[in-house]
Amino acid sequence: MSGPKPKASQALPAKDDKKKPGGSVLRRLKSRRNPAGEGGGSVPDHRRRAQLTEQELLTLDSLSPEHVLGLVRVTENYLCKPEDNIYNIDFTRFKIRDLETGMVLFEIAKPSTSDQEEEEEETASGELDTSAGRFVRYQFTPTFLRLRTVGATVEFTVGDRPVPSFRMIERHYFRDHVLKSFDFDFGFCIPNSRNTCEHIYEFPQLSEDLIRQMVENPYETRSDSFYFVDNKLIMHNKADYAYNGGQ
Amino acid sequence: MGLLAILKKMKQKEREVRILMLGLDNAGKTTILKKFNGEDVDTISPTLGFNIKTLEHRGFKLNFWDVGGQKSLRSYWRNYFESTDGLIWVVDSADRLRLQDCRQELASLLVEERLAGATLLVFANKQDLPGALTKDTIREALELDNIKTHHWCIQGCSAITGENLLLGIDWLLDDISSRIFTAD
Repeated sequence: MSGPKPKASQALPAKDDKKKPGGSVLRRLKSRRNPAGEGGGSVPDHRRRAQLTEQELLTLDSLSPEHVLGLVRVTENYLCKPEDNIYNIDFTRFKIRDLETGMVLFEIAKPSTSDQEEEEEETASGELDTSAGRFVRYQFTPTFLRLRTVGATVEFTVGDRPVPSFRMIERHYFRDHVLKSFDFDFGFCIPNSRNTCEHIYEFPQLSEDLIRQMVENPYETRSDSFYFVDNKLIMHNKADYAYNGGQ
Repeated sequence: MGLLAILKKMKQKEREVRILMLGLDNAGKTTILKKFNGEDVDTISPTLGFNIKTLEHRGFKLNFWDVGGQKSLRSYWRNYFESTDGLIWVVDSADRLRLQDCRQELASLLVEERLAGATLLVFANKQDLPGALTKDTIREALELDNIKTHHWCIQGCSAITGENLLLGIDWLLDDISSRIFTAD
């Protein structure tokens, strides 16, 4: 999954508002916006053990979630090879919607199978770009950083082997500062299945200073997405982000 | 402190709830999930895998798992039982022909050990259709009154209009939270 998802605030045990049959979830989400901002919800970045650097990780045969959770900055390299994806997991769609307005703000879908075949032929004709299909660049407008409640959806397909335990860890950085760390366990995936996952969360209120810096420094907001099957790294995707669109 | 008490305590801290939505194909599971989350429900295709939604509601972190209901997929349902706090069984109230199928599939879930601790909400969906059976008829057909192993509730609803969706889910959350989060 990719997309700008700065650190989400954790739900405070909200006061139980009275039930309003027919009211929308969004209304409820709105009604208990958490002013405290910080506070977890995602994996803490405190050092828990001796951490290996990216260079040290590159020398290992296989990487576990603990390895990447120890990273403190965005990676320079890909920490696994495209062919490590032996389950043929393929991300086919990514979408962001604003729950305040119900509008889809961003949607990207993989071209149909026939287009893909053509692409593969091109790749076969001699280019050695190992980042092909593993890197995405996003351009957003500054208003993106002021969204309140968003839903980020990914869709992925699975090859003809069952996937026993699928886990995603995604980390977003602005320069050396971790904005958000996402850790989600999909668990089992059915062979030949098409699956979706939408995380609906409240955007944190970023400080004016941070927003200004993120807008003024395109592509210094970056993310690493790590995917594990049975605690072994099988995919690593990257993205970077600009928020100066339309200016 | 026993292990169970410790687990309960951990869960209490996170207030995280896992809800599994199952039912025959074309029951409306995905439509319910999308409607509940304010999404467009005009074009929904059969689920050939799962749809997950995570959201915060009433201070809980809810994880909804909607798994496809086609016959070929049902043998995979068991892979999603673990740690389920709430089971939503979705019924197409207008699908009279498959009510027996529907009853049997539900009955086979209720004897699953890994679902033993789950609260059951039955959505008698598609109440907006003219041929829909009432929730009381569904209740009888599924023999819900014989269920002694789970807390359960049946709610007539329409995924298209959104009628009663929130009511059902709030009941489910109330029951789960009274069982898990306030138990000592």
